[in-house]
Amino acid sequence: MRRGATVMLARAALLLGLLAAWEAGGRAANPLLTVPPSAVLPALWDLVRLRSYPDLAASLLLTLREIAAAYGLAVLAGLGCGFTLAFNRLVGRAYGPILAALYAVPAVVWYPSLMLFFGLDAASKIAFGFLLGFFPVTLAVLAGIRQVNPQLVIVARSYGAGPLTVFARVMVPAMLFTLVGGLRTGLALSVIGVIVGEILGSKAGMGALINHAYGLLRTADYVALVLVTLVLVVGSDVVASLAERRARRWTE
Amino acid sequence: MRDPRVPAIQAVSVLAVLAAWETAARLAWMDPLFVPAPSAVARALGRIGGAALAGLGDTLAKTAAAYVLSVVLGVTAGLAIGSVRLLREVLNPFVIAAYGIPKILVLPWIVLVLGFGTAPAVFYGTLHGLFPVMVLVMGAVRDVDRTLVTVARAYGATTWQLYWKVLLPAIVPSVVAGMRLGIVFCLLGVLVVEMFAGVRGMGYVLSALANGFQAPELFAATALVSAASIAIVLALDHLSDKLSHWRG
Amino acid sequence: MTAPSQLIAIEGVTKRYATSSGPIEALHDVSLAVGAGEFCTLIGPSGCGKSTLLGMLGGLTAPDGGRVLVEGAAVTGPDPRRVATVFQDPGLFPWRTTLENVEFGLELQRVPKARRRQAATELLGPLGLRGFADKYPRELSGGMKQRVAIGRALAIDTKILLMDEPFGALDEQTRVLMGEWLLDIWRRTRKTVIFVTHSLHEALFLSTRIAVMTARPGRIKTLLELGHRYPRAMESAEMVALRARLWGEIREESLRAMQ
Ligand SMILES: Nc1ncnc2c1ncn2[C@@H]1O[C@H](COP(=O)(O)OP(=O)(O)OP(=O)(O)O)[C@@H](O)[C@H]1O
Ligand SMILES: [Mg+2]
Repeated sequence: MRRGATVMLARAALLLGLLAAWEAGGRAANPLLTVPPSAVLPALWDLVRLRSYPDLAASLLLTLREIAAAYGLAVLAGLGCGFTLAFNRLVGRAYGPILAALYAVPAVVWYPSLMLFFGLDAASKIAFGFLLGFFPVTLAVLAGIRQVNPQLVIVARSYGAGPLTVFARVMVPAMLFTLVGGLRTGLALSVIGVIVGEILGSKAGMGALINHAYGLLRTADYVALVLVTLVLVVGSDVVASLAERRARRWTE
Repeated sequence: MRDPRVPAIQAVSVLAVLAAWETAARLAWMDPLFVPAPSAVARALGRIGGAALAGLGDTLAKTAAAYVLSVVLGVTAGLAIGSVRLLREVLNPFVIAAYGIPKILVLPWIVLVLGFGTAPAVFYGTLHGLFPVMVLVMGAVRDVDRTLVTVARAYGATTWQLYWKVLLPAIVPSVVAGMRLGIVFCLLGVLVVEMFAGVRGMGYVLSALANGFQAPELFAATALVSAASIAIVLALDHLSDKLSHWRG
Repeated sequence: MTAPSQLIAIEGVTKRYATSSGPIEALHDVSLAVGAGEFCTLIGPSGCGKSTLLGMLGGLTAPDGGRVLVEGAAVTGPDPRRVATVFQDPGLFPWRTTLENVEFGLELQRVPKARRRQAATELLGPLGLRGFADKYPRELSGGMKQRVAIGRALAIDTKILLMDEPFGALDEQTRVLMGEWLLDIWRRTRKTVIFVTHSLHEALFLSTRIAVMTARPGRIKTLLELGHRYPRAMESAEMVALRARLWGEIREESLRAMQ
């Protein structure tokens, strides 16, 4: 009880300390390079009133749509690919290592090729977000299936369950938790993929706004835009973690 | 049990993909401006080989610096935070947040402050590599078998001996796992900086080739970095197997 | 009164633990004196504070009241030059071989490598671990692991050996054999042993004295003196009677502990 209070207090103090350090540092530093939180708040207010960037809403929407498209494709392809690899022993053993090797490559090396192929618009961001989200989903399916206790499958079979029943009643519940964890990681990575794509080169979306503010050394606006983007990032993860909690309650 | 069909399938698949791709490109089913034939990529590799290798060397040097920093700082901080319960409980959400937040958002600011040289690349690479190592080490220290710590205390271990002879060896597998994860993150960070603001290095080479619509050269360079990255990770896997020989 | 000849003196010791559901009293006014060369066994219901008492002797837990003296001096912390402990969980370091595990205590005491290697190697024979010097713990059976843990305690060559249910996790046959083995080791090394067990057989077979503890809060309920006559004829009328008496004492406390 008391220990928990101490911990919460220490966390709050640390957070305040960090903000205070930022404020002090921001005031002392070159205002083109660093701005204190007290200067960010007015910029944030201007931003959400659509004063500094009137196309904020449109940009947010575009980024959100890119994320939705990238993640949707990643889930479909990841589930399909994962189950195909998991249910065909031979295919899995042949292509699993290839997949693992590709996963060892920092995904950003593919981005210039995607940009060349899909151009500077939304398509290249969707493709990159898809690529990043695809791997964790696929790997989670494989890990989840490996986790299913084979004894449970044998028991179900011995009670006369067919392959479909075994899949729906034994495999899915047993692997759900791992799978949902992978889906959550996949979403986080799709979000990052889209944002990285936008910042490395785009004409519209949150990344383009951030690049614009930074290019003009409008540092306060830049920080405000970053904060808005963070809301998007954290919001998507909160949704995913709620889904994860649901799944956990379901499996236990 | 090794299935002899596995390597055969792998080889045949790779060759089939390359053949199909080559055919498609030759028959102009795909625009060679965007998707060049494998043979064109191979020829391009010969052309840009020297420049690409120089870029790769530059990138790998920055990555190495970022990696050493990530591992040393990550293990030290992870060990220090993980072994003191209050510190661990207070700092854990901060570390998780720093790990999870897309660091690309602060990249413009880093470049603004540190300029366009080696420093932002090493810094940003470290930022990427540090947290996975730290999170793994913190978790591993927390989960060290309490009996081992009690035994060490009962046998008169000093604080230094406790860290050096019990905690550190106990977390070796996690450190190695962190090192394997960390290298990919460091390389990723360095490449991103080079693409965003580089004037040298493989990331810059890649984005310059893309901007110049030099598809064969771009594909060749991409293949080169990928191969290097896979080779490094495989080497670390090998090391990890060797270091964890006492694990069941 | 404790005679000065007593190696270990526990005087009016009390221990409370703070838990989420309020403080619980683990030990209440426990006194016990153990002379050099004895094999003293603590036996009592689960949760009566045996491990807590052993932890105090080893300097791992401090009493809330009373004193714990070893050779006349109060225990303030672990003292591996006088006291060695064997825990229920062998607690072997998985990254160390058998030999390296046995050497652990000497290494902490900065004994030169060649000397500690020699000392540990000499122990492998009596431990029955010759040929397993370079094996890692995962390659050993449960009984072997426990012998390595005992070897680690013997290696630092202390006067006092504390053993907290060292054979608790072993199967019954192995356990009996390990008891015979331990008796042999003890009679050769002449150490003072404080031993915790739940096994009546083990207690009667090994001990010079048995201290029966009450249900929580733990106190010493009865002391049985068995003397130094070994080997024990476990089927003799005397031992059977002792066993019945011991069981009667413990049964009563265990029933109380279960309520
Ligand atoms: N660190 C602790 N914090 C809170 N309570 C504790 C702690 N250690 C022991 N206790 C409590 O003190 C009592 C005595 O514990 P102890 O481990 O000494 O018993 P024991 O006689 O060794 O039992 P067992 O035979 O099961 O090993 C128990 O009720 C236990 O729950
Ligand atoms: Mg106990």
